[in-house]
Order: sequence, then C-alpha cells, then structure tokens
Amino acid sequence: MMLKLIVCVKQVPMVAELPWDEKTGTLRRDLAPGMMNPACKHALEAALQIKDKFAAKITVISMGPPAAEEVLREALAMGADEAVLVCDKLFAGSDTFATSMILQKAVKKTCPKFDLILCGAYTADSETAQVGPQLAEELNLPSVAYIEKLEISGRTLRVRRLVDNFRETLEMEFPALLTVSMENYKPRYAPLAGLESAFAGKGITVMNAAELGLTAAAMAAKGSRTKVRQVFLRKAQKGNVLLQGTASSVVNEFLDKYQRKIGAAIGKSIEGRKLHDEK
Amino acid sequence: MPNIHRIGDSSLQVNPSAKHKLIRDSVRNFAETELAPLAAEIDRGAFFPRDVIEKMRPLNYFGLQVPREFGGAALDSISAAIVVEELSRVCAAIGLCITVHNGVAVYPFLRFANAEQKKRYLPRLASGEFIGAFSLTEANAGSDAGSVETTAVKNSREYILNGTKIFVTNGGICDVALIFALTGFEPGRPQSSVFIVESKYPGFMRGELEDLCGMRANPVSSLFLEDCRVPEKNLLGKIGDGMKIGMATLDNGRLGVAAQALGIAQGAFEAAVKYAKERQQFKKPIASLQTIQNYIADMATDIKAARLLLYHACARKDEGAPFSCDASMAKLYCSTVATRVTSLAVQIHGGYGYSKEYDVERYFRDAKVTEIYEGTSEVQRMVIARAVLSQWTF
Repeated sequence: MMLKLIVCVKQVPMVAELPWDEKTGTLRRDLAPGMMNPACKHALEAALQIKDKFAAKITVISMGPPAAEEVLREALAMGADEAVLVCDKLFAGSDTFATSMILQKAVKKTCPKFDLILCGAYTADSETAQVGPQLAEELNLPSVAYIEKLEISGRTLRVRRLVDNFRETLEMEFPALLTVSMENYKPRYAPLAGLESAFAGKGITVMNAAELGLTAAAMAAKGSRTKVRQVFLRKAQKGNVLLQGTASSVVNEFLDKYQRKIGAAIGKSIEGRKLHDEK
Repeated sequence: MPNIHRIGDSSLQVNPSAKHKLIRDSVRNFAETELAPLAAEIDRGAFFPRDVIEKMRPLNYFGLQVPREFGGAALDSISAAIVVEELSRVCAAIGLCITVHNGVAVYPFLRFANAEQKKRYLPRLASGEFIGAFSLTEANAGSDAGSVETTAVKNSREYILNGTKIFVTNGGICDVALIFALTGFEPGRPQSSVFIVESKYPGFMRGELEDLCGMRANPVSSLFLEDCRVPEKNLLGKIGDGMKIGMATLDNGRLGVAAQALGIAQGAFEAAVKYAKERQQFKKPIASLQTIQNYIADMATDIKAARLLLYHACARKDEGAPFSCDASMAKLYCSTVATRVTSLAVQIHGGYGYSKEYDVERYFRDAKVTEIYEGTSEVQRMVIARAVLSQWTF
C-alpha cells in the first residue's frame, strides 16, 4: 500500500540577513534572498524518512509568489516526488485563515486521497504557527502540533511532542495532519544529481485561484479574519540599578520594587517578608 | 575590427539561472556546516578529513559531470564550477581534492576511455569509492610536459612502468592514477601515452606527503613506479595519445583551478569586508576610511570580472566550442585575482591578518599555488598568446 504524503512548505526571507525598516515597521522582504522555511524543511525530512522505510509518494505544496518555485525545486532535489505551486496575485494579503482555506482547496484538488499532511510547526518570518492546525480544521482531520517524533504501524500513527515541559505521546489513525518542530528530523543535504534533475524533470504544477474554484470573497483581505494593526520592534529597556545603604534597607528596597515580579516567577507570594533591622 | 574579438566570443547568460542559485545555496550550506568547523584545524595539522569525504560521496561530489548511467550528477560546467567555488570559499584543500578528482582524473575517462574502461571505472570514481589523481609532473617535466622520463614498456599483455611522479595532488590517498609515460619516439620527438594505474598494482608506491605552504589538508605526494605491471587494457586512448590527452585534460582542469581561485578570493573578500566594518580605529570602523574603501572596491570588481570570465569559459565548453584559450584566460585571471584579493584581505586585517587566528592567513597561503599548478601563469600567457596570434591573418 503506497502511503500518500503531503508536505506544505513556505518560502521565507533569510531573516538574519534582512534589513528592517523601523519607520514603517516592515521587513524589507524584497532585499532578502528566499529560502525554505527551516521548520518546513524538517517536516519534509520527516516525510523523506517515512519514504525511506515505506512505499510512499511525497507531494509538496507551496502557496506563494512565482519565486516560491525555488523551494519546491529544492524539495524535489531532496527527494519529493511531485510539486504544486499555488500562485495568484489575488492571494496577496491572505492571513492564516485564508491561507489554510486556499491550501485546503489545493489539497483536495491535487491529492485528495492523502494519508498524512506534514507542515512545519511555524515559519521564521511570521511565527504564527496557525496554518497547520487551521488546515486540519478545514479538512476535518485529527492533528497534533509541534511533534518531534513519529512512528507508523499499519494505519496508526504514534507521535511524540514536547509542549510546556510535558512530553506527550499521542496516537491517531490516518488520514491526519502533523506540524513538525525543529527538535529532530535534521534535514538531509540534497544530492547534486537531485538538484540537477529537479530542473530537468516533469516540472511543477501551478494552480491559480480560478483553477481552485476560489472567489475573491475567500481570499486576501476579504477572506481574512485577522488584520495586522501594527508591527514594531520590542525595545529592550535594560539598565543597572544600584541600591545603597544598610543590608536590610537594601533588601527591603529591593523587595519593594521587585517582590511582585519575583512572586509571579516562583509562583507564590513573598509579600510581607521584609527584613527588620536587628535592634 | 580586429578579429581578436573572435576569442571568447560566446553567448552568456549573465543572470545565473535558478538552478545555479540553488546549487550554490546547497553547496554553501554543506560547506559552512561541514567544512567550516574543520578548515583551520585540518590546514594546521595537514590532515585529510576522511569523515567529511564519506559525507560528500553520496551527494555526488565525486561525479560532478559524470553521466547518470554511471552514477554521476551530470552537471553542466557552470554548475560544476560553482560547486568547486563554494567548497573553496570555505576550505580550498577540499575544493582541490574535488576539482582534481573531477577535472583531471575523471574527465579523461569521459573523453578518452573505451566502453569497457568507462563501465569498469566511472561508477567507482563517481561514487568516490575510488579517488583519482593525474600524474604528469616529474622532476624534469613541469611546464615542459613533453619531457616526461617515466617509461612504459610492453611485455606480453602488460605494460611495465618505471619512473617517479612528483607533486601529485590526492597522491597520498588516490586509488587510481592516470600516469603519463614514454612509449617510444616519433620522428623528432618522444611519444607519450597514458595508463590507468590502480594503487593496488604491484610496483606502485607513494612517497612521503609534501610539506607545502598552502592547501595543506590535501595529501600531495610523489608516486614511485618500480616495474609496476599495468594490464594492457588499461591504456587510455591509443599509444602516442599522451600529449593530446594531457592538453585536453589540462584545458578542463584549468576551469576547475579558476573556480577554486575564485572561491578563495570570495572567502577572503567576505572576511575582509566583515572585519573592515567591525574593526574600529580613529573611533570609527576602518570601512569608513577611503583607503580601505578603495581596496574593497577593487576586490569586488576583480572578483566579479573573474567570475564572468570563468562562467563564460564554462559556457563555451558546454556549447561544444573550443575553450582552451578561454580556460587559460579564466585560470590566469582568477588566480591573479586570488593572490591579489587575499593579499589585500590580509592587509585590511593588519597584524591580525598575519596571525593563524584569522582565516585570511590561510586564504593567503592557499591562493598562491593557483598561479602555479595546472599550468603556471606564464604557461597560460603562452597558450593565450598563441591562440591570439594564430587568429591574425596578416
């Protein structure tokens, strides 16, 4: 039985190299070279490791501008079998809700009988971590986010994840959706032969809004439920504070200023525990 | 218009294709992850990193332009140059291992081997199971390649080889070497031929590794052939093809050395720019000083010109056009740029650049040999001048 796997990948700017426009609060995406989002690459590696063990076919899907073709080529070079680019100017400005809706259409159109969808847990450029779980909702699938390990036994999928310092092991049946964290699944290097054939093979299927049967109401700003009001750099306000005086007055002054914060951090109140000068 | 403009005239895609960009990104990622942490250490210890080589084998680094049917990556020549350039940008000694293996050890098999030889050797060379070497140079035969003294004498169904080869890149680790040897005399000049010699053949011995100025992680050694018995079927091409195979192979090898020189220049340049922006003197970054800016402008211009010249020569090769002169121009220019740029990179670093603590010191040492091997800059000028002069009709 051939497993049908879908991996959703996104092209993101190399943020480390990206200039930031403080006045407008935007990333100068136009100046940055694109790359496959690191968590998406880990998700692809998870799919490739499934393919190493079982008969499987991997379809990679990306929604993005024409340049996003690059990350699909890279995915093909690493070992994916088919690539779909969901691309239309009408998609510009879609939030995670609209994006997951568009991806849902693309999945149903290109690979409706899938067994497992893998997504990166989050993207390096926006970090919402929402598209994977929202796509699972759209497709009415069981899903687990932030997985660090997966095992397949027949039609059963067992996954492990680490959230809030708890390690959970969960089981579900195919079809399902997982988002993959960057804990494990270190991406393999694409062999040079793979890179060469990624450009020589049958190519990439490109689908636009009309082909997916999407109307303007479902896309971009109209189809989005969220709106970004402001983007700003968090300013770290660090400064040294020097407390002077006797030991007890310094401790008390310190507690006056910080006991609430310390209490919140350790989870119990330390109010009313001031020192009294020994007399 | 003087017809000199015919030389190097070729269509060239100035914007790198998406494929070239992806290959560059991919090799850069590999080099920065796997080679960068080792580069200084293996240089200092003159140590060949087998573990990294094992990682490179399944990624097709040993079969850059070998056809798929033999397990290679079947890259175009610009892609192959980019691979060598990106490896050398981080670790020139590994770039050297790869370019010599592909450019002058594997290439003659692609061009001159018969079907049986291709079937027997190409899969093992392309997978890196066999690392190759090219052995032309001898104590008395360097630029004058016709003065080879190693001999091959036919004895029944074998050739018996005797002689000493020096400065063999990959010599200390090669599993198969192409040996140039005298097989007789044509009227007026010696006749040489090329033999495929496996390191396991009786009479094949390696000398001590050379203690060199740069490229120290590459095991360069002498090879001794003492009544080395080579099967008759291991003659590459025909008897007397030595000069033809040697010259065609060196043309191709020069593209590889040019790519290597370019990668070294690029690595040193990036280090120099980073340092110039960080280093404060006179209470400001030295990059704000006009003298340093002039250096940086010259380095950037040199590198871009070198890259275009190299890719142009590669494009000529892939078009099936004669590329000997273009390869010599690329090799001459890229290696000159490499020594100039690495020297300026050391200068920008000041005293720190002269210290082994900084990578530019290594780049500076590695760059020099690109003006020497695979034909010295003087030999490249000879090749270029001959090609230019032969095109003037008066």
